[in-house]
Amino acid sequence: MGSSLKSFIKDVRASKTLAEERSIIQKESAKIRTKLRDDHLPLEKRRKNIQKLLYLFILGEKTHFGQVECINLIASDEFVNKRLGYLAAMLLLDESQDLLTLLTNLLNNDLNHPNKFIVSLALTTLGFLSTLELARDLYPDVENILKTCKDPFLLKQALQCAAKLIAKDVSLLDIFSMEYISSIFENHAICTHSVLLGISKVLQSILLAYPGYLDLLREDGVELNGENHQILNDGIKFIPELLSRLQSLNVKSSQPDYDVKGICDPFLQCEIIYTLRLFFLLDVPEIDRFKNKFEDLLSQIATDTDGSKTSGQAILYETARTIFSLDLEQPLRILGINILAKFLSGRDNNVKYVALNTLLRVVPQEPTAVQRHRKFISRCLHDPDISIRMRALELTFAILDENSLVELVNELVKFLESASGDDKDLIIFTVDNLVETFEKFKVHDEKWKLDIFLKVLELVGSFITLEKLGDILIIINNTEDLQNKIYVVSKMLKVSLSNDQDSVIQIFDDNLGWKLVTIWCIGEYADLILLKNASEIINEESMTKYLLKLDSEYGTYDSKITQYVLTASLKLSSKIDNRKCIEDLRQIILNHTKDPNLMIQVKSVQYELIFSQPREIRKSILASMPIFERKVRTPDMDTQSNVHQKSKPVASNADLLLDLLGDMDSSSGQQQGKAPEMTLSSESTKPENSKPTDLLADIFSSNVNNFNGKAEPVGTSSSLEFKSTVTLPTNATKIYDGKALIVYSGDVTVENGSANFELYFEAKSSVTDLSCQSAVPKSQKLTMGSLYPSASVGHGQLSKQSMKVSGSGKLKLRVKLKYNSEGISNDEQFDHKFNEAL
Amino acid sequence: MTQIKYMLLISRQGKVRLQKWYVSLPNNEKTKIIRNLTSIVLSRKAKMCNIVEFGDHKVVYKRYASLYFVCGITQEVDNELLTLEVIHRFVETMDTYFGNVCELDIIFNFEKAYNILDDMLMCDGSLAESSKKEILNHVKTMDTMEHNDHLDRVLS
Repeated sequence: MGSSLKSFIKDVRASKTLAEERSIIQKESAKIRTKLRDDHLPLEKRRKNIQKLLYLFILGEKTHFGQVECINLIASDEFVNKRLGYLAAMLLLDESQDLLTLLTNLLNNDLNHPNKFIVSLALTTLGFLSTLELARDLYPDVENILKTCKDPFLLKQALQCAAKLIAKDVSLLDIFSMEYISSIFENHAICTHSVLLGISKVLQSILLAYPGYLDLLREDGVELNGENHQILNDGIKFIPELLSRLQSLNVKSSQPDYDVKGICDPFLQCEIIYTLRLFFLLDVPEIDRFKNKFEDLLSQIATDTDGSKTSGQAILYETARTIFSLDLEQPLRILGINILAKFLSGRDNNVKYVALNTLLRVVPQEPTAVQRHRKFISRCLHDPDISIRMRALELTFAILDENSLVELVNELVKFLESASGDDKDLIIFTVDNLVETFEKFKVHDEKWKLDIFLKVLELVGSFITLEKLGDILIIINNTEDLQNKIYVVSKMLKVSLSNDQDSVIQIFDDNLGWKLVTIWCIGEYADLILLKNASEIINEESMTKYLLKLDSEYGTYDSKITQYVLTASLKLSSKIDNRKCIEDLRQIILNHTKDPNLMIQVKSVQYELIFSQPREIRKSILASMPIFERKVRTPDMDTQSNVHQKSKPVASNADLLLDLLGDMDSSSGQQQGKAPEMTLSSESTKPENSKPTDLLADIFSSNVNNFNGKAEPVGTSSSLEFKSTVTLPTNATKIYDGKALIVYSGDVTVENGSANFELYFEAKSSVTDLSCQSAVPKSQKLTMGSLYPSASVGHGQLSKQSMKVSGSGKLKLRVKLKYNSEGISNDEQFDHKFNEAL
Repeated sequence: MTQIKYMLLISRQGKVRLQKWYVSLPNNEKTKIIRNLTSIVLSRKAKMCNIVEFGDHKVVYKRYASLYFVCGITQEVDNELLTLEVIHRFVETMDTYFGNVCELDIIFNFEKAYNILDDMLMCDGSLAESSKKEILNHVKTMDTMEHNDHLDRVLS
C-alpha cells in the first residue's frame, strides 16, 4: 500500500537526486495537507497522516498545518490516538504558540484521568509545553498528584512538571507547599531514584525562581528571616536529607538498574550535588551550619569515587566544580585541583578538555596549586586535539609567573616547533602572549630572551602580525646590554646573509616576519655589527645584496617589505663606506620614486632628498632609534579579565571589584602612555629635519598611532594653560574627600538600563599624573572616558571624567585614584553607592 | 542540572534522523543550528574531544556506528561528562528496546525513539528517569495498550 508511513520513508530514501527527493516530499506534504482538511477523515487515517507529518518534521519541513490536528488526536478517547497526539503536540508546537490555550481543558481532563499512563502523557506534555497561563490553570492538578499519588512513576513526573511550572510562574511559590516533599521523603517506598531526581529539580527550581535569589547571592550575609523566606527555610530542612542520600549513593555498590560502569546512578549523584551547591551558594547561617558536613562529604566523594570511567569522572568533575563555585576551604580547593590534574594525566580527551577549562577558571583562586601540575598542562600542548591545545595554551599563560617563566616559555617554544599551519590561530595567540609576557616580567637573562624571540621568528615568522613584529623590534632595540644586541643581530644576519643550504637554521621563503626583522636590523645596527662582528658572511656587500634581493623579490607587490627595505637602504647608506654599495642602495630608493603606490613614492622621494644631503647631516638624521618606552594595551587583557570574573561567580563584592581593579592596572597605561613623549623628544633632538624621523618612526606606527588618538599630554606645561574650563555643576554631590582631591559626582542620568554620569576631581593642592580606575559589580559594564581637560589639576581647579555604566542592579562604584601631589605619589580608594539603580 | 537544549541525531551523510528541542526557537534558527552543527560535527576527527563550543553554548556529541548524537547543553549548568552518559543511556535503552539498534530502526520507528527519549528527558531537557529498566517497562506497557483498541479493557 503506497500510502503507509513506511513506504513514504522508503520512497524518500530511495530517491536518487535531491530534486527527486524534494518532489516526493512536496507531493506528500500537499497530500497530507488536503487530507487533514477533510473533516470526515476517520481517525485512523488522520493518525497515519500525522505520523507522516512527524517524519516531515524530522526532515525539517514545514508542519504548521498539522498543529490543530494534534489537538484533535489528544481529544480522542483511544489511547493510541492520545499517545500520538501528545507526541505530535510536543514536536509540532512550542511554548510560544497561542494554540496552547486549546490544550488547557484536555490536559486538565487527562491529568485527572483514572489511567496513569494517560496522566503521565499529560504531565510530560505539560512539562514540555507550559506557558504562564497553563502553569496557573493546571498547577492545582499537578499539586493534586503530588499530594495524593503514591506511585513513584507518576510522582517523579509530577515533580519534574511542578519544577517547570514554578520556573514559569514564580507566583506559584506562594502556594507551593514543602509538605508534599517532606511526606515523600518520609515514605521510603516511594522515594526512588527518579523521585529524588524530581525532588532535586523542584528544590533547584524554587531556589532559582525565588525572587531575589540572584540578588541574595550578590549581597553578603543577607538574613533569611521573616515570612518572605518561609519557603526557603522549609527547603533548608531538606539539606540533611539530601546529604545523607548522597552519602549512601556514593558508597553503594551494585544496584543493577542504576549502575553505570560500576558507579551507582551518577545522574542522581550529580543532581544532588548541584542542588546542594545552589543551597550553599546562599551564604546564610541557617545553611552554613551544614557546611562542614557538606565539605566532609565532598572530600569523601573525591577520594572514594572511582575515576577510571566517565561515569565516575562526571561525579568528580561535578565535585570540583562545586568546590570552586562555593570557594570552599583551601584543602578542598587543592583536592579539587588534584582531581582535575589527574584528569589531565589520563587519556580521555573529554576529561582533559573539561579539566583544562575548569583549571583555567580557578587559576586566580589557587595559582600555585594549579602551577604544580604544569607538566601535565605542558603535555597537553602537544595533544592531537586542537581544542585541547588551545586550552592548554591559555592555561600555560595563565599560570606563567616569574619563577616558572623559563620552563614554560621553553615549553611554548616546543609547542611552536611542533605546530603546523592548521594552528595559525594558536600560533598568533602564543606570539601575542609571549610578547606581553616579556613585557610583564623582568627577565634577567637577556640573551636567553632574545634567543627565544629569534627562535620564534625562525619557527613561525610567517604568522606573526605586523603589530607584534613591531613589538619584537622594540624588544631588540631596547636590549640593555650592547653585547647581547650584537649577539642576537649577528646570529640572525649570519643566517639571513649566508647562502648555505645546510645551515642548522632554515628560513623558509614565506617567512616574511624573519625577513622584515632582518631588514630592519640591517638598517639599524649595520655599523654596530660591522664594527664588532664583520666576517665572510656579514659585510657591507652582503647586507646591500640582501636588500637588493628582497627589493627585487617583493618590490612590486609587498608594500610593507618595500617600505622596510627603503628605510633600511637609507640608513645603511649612512653606515657604510663602500661606494658601490652606497650607489646600489641609492638605486633602490630611486627606483621607487615613481612607484604606483603613493605611500612608497612619497617615501622614496623624501629619502632621495636625504640621500643627497652631506654625509654628516645624514648621519645625524639617521641615527639609531632611541630606547622605546611604551605600554600597550593588548586585547588579551580582556580575555584574561573575563576568566578572572567568571571564576569567582559568588565571591564577595569587594573581591570582585578588587579583581577588576587588578586587571585594569595593566591597561591604565593607556591614559598616561609614554609613547607621545617619545615622539616629542625625538622631534626636539632633531628639529631641523623632523619629517624623515617621523617616517622612520612609522615602523612603530601601529603602536604610536594608538596613542596619538587617546593619550593626554601628561604633565607638559602647555596643557596646564588651557585646562581650567571645567566647572562644578550645581547638582554635583561630594562623594569622597581625600588627601589632595575631593571627588564629586554629577549629571547622573539613568535610562534604558544604562547610566551616565561625571566624576569631578577638585584639587586641594596641585596634583599631577592623576589616574582614575573604577570598577562596578559583575552584573554591570563600565565604559570610561578620558580625563578632561588633563591629568594634572592645579590647586582649586577641576578635572572631570565621564562614565557610562550599563547592566542591571544598584549603581555602585569603586574608585581607585593614583596621583602625585607635592612630590609624593598617592594611592587612594573609595566606594560609592548611588541612589540610582539600573 | 541536566538542562539539555536540544538533542539531534544526525547520520554520517548529514541527514537528520531525529530532532527534539527543549528550548523554543524560531524555525530558521533551528535550521541554522542543524546546518552549522552538521558540518562541524561531521568534520571532527575521531581523536578529538566530544565537546565543542558553539555560539553561546556548548555541544556534546558522540558517534555510535553511523549516527551522531548531538546535544546542545546549558553553560555552567550541565556537566559535559554527564551529558555523554545521558546520550549513552539513551543509546543503551534504544539498543535493548530494538535489540541491537541500528540507524534504520530509528528511521522507521522514530515514534518509538521519541517515546523513549520523552520518558528519559522531560521539561527543559532534565533527566527524569535514570533507570533503563523503568523506561523500557513504561514504553512497553504503553505499546501494549496501543494494541488494545478500547481503553476500558486495559483499565480494570
